[in-house]
Formats: sequence, structure tokens, C-alpha cells
Amino acid sequence: MEFELLRGLTAREAEQVLALSVRMTIPSGGSLFRLGDPAERLYLIERGRIRLSFPLLLRGQHEDVVLEEKTPGETVGWSAMVPPYRFTLSATAPLETEVIALHREALSAFFAAVPEIGCRVSFNLAVLVGQRLQLVQTMWMREMQRTVELHSAHLAAVQ
Amino acid sequence: MDMFVMGLCFTCIGLAVTALAFAAATRQAAAPPAAQPELPAVQAAPAQFFGDVAQPAVPLAMQVPVQLLLERIENHVRLEQAVAESFVAYPTHDLLHSKTTSPLIN
Repeated sequence: MEFELLRGLTAREAEQVLALSVRMTIPSGGSLFRLGDPAERLYLIERGRIRLSFPLLLRGQHEDVVLEEKTPGETVGWSAMVPPYRFTLSATAPLETEVIALHREALSAFFAAVPEIGCRVSFNLAVLVGQRLQLVQTMWMREMQRTVELHSAHLAAVQ
Repeated sequence: MDMFVMGLCFTCIGLAVTALAFAAATRQAAAPPAAQPELPAVQAAPAQFFGDVAQPAVPLAMQVPVQLLLERIENHVRLEQAVAESFVAYPTHDLLHSKTTSPLIN
């Protein structure tokens, strides 16, 4: 299994990082974390799937809308490495899922001790965060364009 | 004779006043009509029986079951993400403003 967060590390280096982790099994339909929870661990998916969702207000009730589904090898919960260390999405398992949990403090201490590995993993993390930022920025620009078009159409209808 | 002259004067004055009034009236009628401000088009209300009047109109979105609405929203998110991924890989103005088939925006 190749984890995107450990890309570029040798097998020995990857083992050193994984030695810091704890394996967790989430039952089908179970929750890994909820929006607003303190983010102390990031997770590498080993088996199963994790759905990331956000709450949308529909007819006065919050409904979870799936934003992304992550598969084995992918990373979830990088809010654990970015202040203010709070999850901004919710994560659930649509089927029994196994994840490898890495605690922020253990990782930080290890990175300080072995900066070469810390640099490589931090670079991989920056790539993940950057890709998410680019996607969200594009979606926001498209949404902004639609809002402007709707507003213009509304103004034209009023006049 | 005096009576005749007086009657003639009164007749002339009456005719003059009538002529002036007629001229004024015809000048007003001949003038082009002033431009009227355009009123917003008023949509004719659909014919209703008295019993229908009390029923509130239900917006279309409220008639769709929540589960179906959620499926549409998630489909919309997937389509938007696919476009966003294409844009990030190869950014162009056309791709940024391209339309999807999402029923939420069509």
C-alpha cells in the first residue's frame, strides 16, 4: 500500500513514520470525526472508504452533503496539522474502514528529530492542501459568477 | 335701431368667444399625444375558482422530496468538482465559465 502522504520516502523511512501510528477500525456507518471537533490526528486510509461531508440547511434542517469520497492510500483530517486544529468537514465510513491515525504531537516531535523525513512529509501535505485550495477556489469563482448572473437577471426583471 | 346694433354686438361677441373656444379645443386635439411612461407588464392571474384562492402557492423546490434534493445537490457537487479539476489542470476562461448538466442550475 502506497500512502500519498509518505510518497518519496524509502520503505525504512515510511516504516519509521508508521511506527508512530495507531490503527483504528470504523464500523459501517460510523463517524471518524465531526465538523468543529478538535483535530489532533490525521488519518491514512488503509481499507474501505471515508466520506467527507458538509452540512447544508434544507427546509430548516441540517442535511449532510457528501463533498468527497476518499479511498485507500489517501489522507483525511489534515486540519490536525494546520492551526486552529479544528475539523471543518465531517468524516464517516460508508462501509467498515480501517485507518492509520497519526497524532500531531508525535509527528511534530519525530519531524524535529528527523528533519529530512519531516521535510518530505510536510511537502506532501502542502501538495494535498494546495490541490484542495485550487479546487475550492475554482468552485468558488464559478459560484460567484452564477451569483452575479442571477443578481443581474433579478435587477433586469425589476427594471 | 339701437336695439338692433346692440343685438348685433352681442351676437358678434358670442361668435368670437365660441370661435376662440373651438380653436383652442381643436389645437389641443391635433397636438401629438405626450409619451406615456411604460408601465410594467402585469401578468394575468390564472383563472381560479373561489375555493382555490385560499390555498397558498407551494414553491417547486418544496415539492421535491429531501432525499431527491440531496441526490441532485451531490450530483451537482460532483459535476462542479470535475469541471474544477479540469480547470486546475488546464486553466482557461472558457473552462472556468463552462456549464454543466446539473439540474440545479439549468
